[in-house]
Amino acid sequence: MNRESDALDYSDADQMVVSAARMIGDDDVCYVGVGLPMLACLLAKHVHAPNLTVMTENGVVRTGLFPLPRATDTLGMQTWADQLSGLFYVSCLGQSGFVSLGFLGAGQIDRFGNVNDTAAGDYLNPSHRWPGSGGGNDVASSCDRTVYILRQSRRRFPEKVDFITCPGYLDGKPGRREELGLRAVTGPAAVITNLGVYGFEQGELVLKSIHADAGVTLAQVKAEVGWDIKVAGDLEDTAPPTEQELRILREKVDPQRFWVGGRRSFAERTATED
Amino acid sequence: MSKVTTLREAVAAHVKPGDTIFLSGAQHAEPTAAIHEIIRQRIDRLTLISVLTETVALLIGTGSLERVLTGWMIQDERSAALIRAKQMGKLPEFVEYSHFGISLALLAGQMGVPFLPALTQIGSDLMKYNPHLGTVRCPFTERQVGAVQAVTPDVGIIHVQRCDADGNAQKWGSLGVDREGINASRTVIVTTERIVDADVIRREPNLTVIPAFRVSAVVEAPFGAYPMHLAGCYREDVWNWRREIATPEAMEGYLQEFVYGLRDWSEYLEKREALKGADHLDGLLVKNVVLSDPVPSGY
Repeated sequence: MNRESDALDYSDADQMVVSAARMIGDDDVCYVGVGLPMLACLLAKHVHAPNLTVMTENGVVRTGLFPLPRATDTLGMQTWADQLSGLFYVSCLGQSGFVSLGFLGAGQIDRFGNVNDTAAGDYLNPSHRWPGSGGGNDVASSCDRTVYILRQSRRRFPEKVDFITCPGYLDGKPGRREELGLRAVTGPAAVITNLGVYGFEQGELVLKSIHADAGVTLAQVKAEVGWDIKVAGDLEDTAPPTEQELRILREKVDPQRFWVGGRRSFAERTATED
Repeated sequence: MSKVTTLREAVAAHVKPGDTIFLSGAQHAEPTAAIHEIIRQRIDRLTLISVLTETVALLIGTGSLERVLTGWMIQDERSAALIRAKQMGKLPEFVEYSHFGISLALLAGQMGVPFLPALTQIGSDLMKYNPHLGTVRCPFTERQVGAVQAVTPDVGIIHVQRCDADGNAQKWGSLGVDREGINASRTVIVTTERIVDADVIRREPNLTVIPAFRVSAVVEAPFGAYPMHLAGCYREDVWNWRREIATPEAMEGYLQEFVYGLRDWSEYLEKREALKGADHLDGLLVKNVVLSDPVPSGY
């Protein structure tokens, strides 16, 4: 679906990326996954969060701008970094409480924000396989806030995931994360899709706004969730992208259009976004 | 003492069927030349520890692996390597960690301790299926924490930018789990873009990721990480390379033409240029080299 916004057409996927970028603050230290999270993160850095510190799983820590990486590790991402370390180092930063924001894609997400990046169906005989945790479990376990960005479908929003790769609020009972030994005051904070923006209340996913200006309806959102999704009392229409956000996204962040409609336009082997 | 040898001799001497091997690199700087040699020598029943590596697809696709310890690996129906392994009845078992989990397993191996505590993986189902993950009560606070069992690879292989003849190996750029993995490994093979004088190493010893006394073999292998990238040296050609191994049949053809049918890595590079043009490798060299300021030392 496309709609006129000022001078520029935009899609529900553009709205997804823009809404995700708006979750990122200038003083955040952000552990970012490759793919859509990186796209949103780079947009934020160009538009409103120039001082954002970006960390990737392979050990890159940087505050300068960089070309949109097509893979987890690229020379463009390494060059002019503030620090090059390794996976152990950046994971320690999270575990010891120095990463304010984790920004990830997801295979599936459920009612209590648990994410499956591993297997649909029986683990030992799965009907679908994603590549596994990567840094996802570590991010979801230890960052102050974790934000997910993914295209929404009923299949990707089951009431309960078959396999918890990245813990959300588990069974939704208060204090479950801390009981298991996870760092206190952590957990998923928001989920951004091409249909809407979600937050969490008492550990449960709640619809906060729908991308109405991009043509999305509440009925459509509900049809693409596997349970009766809680809707915020003050449900809003998502603020549409500004012309500046759209221009920067197209001209500066992703001038080669690696991403179209929230999907890769290039032949990468599957990632959690697929 | 010089440990310079050929890849054929290094692999024959140090990599045995049934070994647990660590392969360095996380997309950046994978030891592709060594992977080719392991396949050429048909060394199998290996347990692999590796993170985010692309070129290990060749090891899976040849049925060389019995088990893979990793945090992230393409495992769906689109993986030509897995389809091929399955056809041969040699699908490896995957033992899954988080990234931090696998790096802690290797760090524990490097440290010589049986396990390390961790505050990740504990809320996940990874715990249910990976016997090397557990929980432990903190002896000081009585709180429950996660625990990751140590792993000590029989042999580790790392590709670096430079190394001296004795084996002092220097690598820079993003390091993935290289430091932990190679230092946890009992036996170490270094492949290097260039063998340099010891003086070059000693002018910036902070870059040494493993010292000579821990290294068993040093092999000069220019473009040894191709088709992956190597910081300060060359860019990747992996997007094109992936297409060459995109189906089980294509992978079979690739292996026959570029691995089994060739004597060594230098023949491979020649063959790549014959296929892709005489300036193919030069074209991958980093164009805008950024030089660091000299790091002074002395007394």
